[in-house]
Amino acid sequence: MVLPRRYAFRFIALVILLFFTAFFVVPIVWLFLAPTKTDGQLLGSSPFAIGSLSTLGHTFSRVINYSGQSLLIWLKNSAIYAFGGTALALLAAIPAGYGLALTHFIGRKTLLSITLVVMIMPATALVLPLFLEMNKLGLYGTVWSLILPFGFFPFGVYLAYIYFSSTIPKDLLAAARIDGATEWGVFRHIAMPLARPVVGLVGFFAFVASWNNFFLPFVMTYDSSQYPVQIGLQQLIGSTASFNPTNFTAGSSVQVLQRPDLAMAVMLAIAPVLIVFLFAQRTLVTGMLAGSTKE
Amino acid sequence: MATVTFDQITRIYPKSSKPAVDRLSLEIGDGEFLVLVGPSGCGKTTSLRMLAGLEHVDDGAILIDDTNVVKLAPRDRDIAMVFQNYALYPHMNVGQNMGFALRLAKVPKHEIERRVRDAARILDLEDYLDRKPRQLSGGQRQRVAMGRAIVREPRVFLMDEPLSNLDAKLRVATRAEIAALQQRLGITTLYVTHDQVEAMTMGDRVAVMKDGILQQCDTPRVLYDDPVNAFVAGFIGSPPMNLIDGLVTEEGVRVGTAVFPLPPQLPARPGSALTVGLRPEVLEPSEPDQGIPVTVHLVEELGAEAFVHASIEQESDTLAVPSSTIIARVEPQRAPAKGERIGLRAKSGSMLFFDAATGARIRTGSQTGAAVPS
Repeated sequence: MVLPRRYAFRFIALVILLFFTAFFVVPIVWLFLAPTKTDGQLLGSSPFAIGSLSTLGHTFSRVINYSGQSLLIWLKNSAIYAFGGTALALLAAIPAGYGLALTHFIGRKTLLSITLVVMIMPATALVLPLFLEMNKLGLYGTVWSLILPFGFFPFGVYLAYIYFSSTIPKDLLAAARIDGATEWGVFRHIAMPLARPVVGLVGFFAFVASWNNFFLPFVMTYDSSQYPVQIGLQQLIGSTASFNPTNFTAGSSVQVLQRPDLAMAVMLAIAPVLIVFLFAQRTLVTGMLAGSTKE
Repeated sequence: MATVTFDQITRIYPKSSKPAVDRLSLEIGDGEFLVLVGPSGCGKTTSLRMLAGLEHVDDGAILIDDTNVVKLAPRDRDIAMVFQNYALYPHMNVGQNMGFALRLAKVPKHEIERRVRDAARILDLEDYLDRKPRQLSGGQRQRVAMGRAIVREPRVFLMDEPLSNLDAKLRVATRAEIAALQQRLGITTLYVTHDQVEAMTMGDRVAVMKDGILQQCDTPRVLYDDPVNAFVAGFIGSPPMNLIDGLVTEEGVRVGTAVFPLPPQLPARPGSALTVGLRPEVLEPSEPDQGIPVTVHLVEELGAEAFVHASIEQESDTLAVPSSTIIARVEPQRAPAKGERIGLRAKSGSMLFFDAATGARIRTGSQTGAAVPS
């Protein structure tokens, strides 16, 4: 009596897990398969039917060559904004987290609480005041209007704070101070080399935040040549016939895209994030501090 | 080389009313090996860290030679420290760990290499210079930490329980090595430990602390023979001195059912309490009617000696006395059996007396010790 009941529970659990797995995996699989098919196949054939390699090639070249290789320009723009923003975020967040975690100064606790509070604030809320500020500074429409805001990355500060306060033994810093290091020397020679994992982590989050940012570049850029890829995708949706039939009345000169092209563009837009993730993930090594102290 | 002087230094931690270190005054001579010892929380590590510059000094002065270093940053004090947990730089190899301070001091590269090599030879680490700390055993890490201190050729060595993470056997061996090394280098050393055996075996002088207050600072011999109070008497020595509550009567002091005559000079009124101190080695087992009658409840055989743990028999009409066990060191061949009733005689003149309330030593004419209460 007991055994069948246990199996019944396991069976039910398995069914639930499989259902949710399928629920989330199916759209991704569909997206990956979409560019291999023509628009007609996408609608007509089974959702999981695989198209052909040649169709994939055609889709790829159509997307790349859309409107004078706009997608490549957007990807390049995105890369500039994201790498610039990430560099600035790291430059600000890592020392800030270190300072909050391992040094003593007046107002440290207050600053820490403020960091936590502003972390909760949605970044979008700042876009409008940032726009006004950039405008006054004459930076509107420049690269700086999309890079400078990432110097403010409280989440990264908090991550760095947690890392430094929980992983680096204070005696290690004390040893360096006794060995003759200045405060800057302690940070540079001891804390920084040991901070690789958190640099990778904060860097990755900053990169993703900047890369996926939509509203800020939407407000700060005014010309297609400045768009990052997220805004570009928006424009591509506008150029897709099935989504905007009214745009494509007979005789329109606008280049028409199909739904598989859009799927292709989406995948090209997320590919850099995956690549950055692979690099960032290598820094997330464990056991960096092994052998330093014996507790 | 240098002398170190603690002059009335005090440390009160924030949110604490009681000082962690209370007006500590101590002098360490040039080239001397001084050990600070005491139970945990007695302020010994705090004192060391104040000398290192890692802990704020609330009051008083610390002099290295004639310079007050209280306001100086750790890097300007020319000291080297060995941490309890070693605090090796995990991303540097052994050579880099040892040469780090010299590199910061912009010592020429070949000179760094020479000094690191010399230190590595002394510490038997030559084959490990390229290894990272995580590839070393506990004993090797400890030696790297020592090496990092000695390549500096500092004015003062500070050691914060450097042996506490080693296993018992290695600890004994390293204990002797460190003492020998210090002797050879002749560098003034302040060494902190909670282990009184370490303190007694290594220190030229030993300073005993309790609750932030220095109790006594003297050579190991004087601390053992002539403690200034019951705390020092009970802390130094293993097994510790027996501290037994006695009652002063007309005939002398009563311990259990035995009465010992008191030295005539001893200022004690009949009816008052007195703490009697007896080292385990001054007690001799004999017939139950001689000395203090006790019942043996444990015999520890250590080979060359045996320790008898016994409970003191009480007279039924006396006050309940809390300290009623006593430890005696006996020859193993003459060790009594467990459960046996014996008497413990004390060698004449071997009894120390302490004030039952304050623990302060009550000196008698025959015991004019050389100890100077600090």
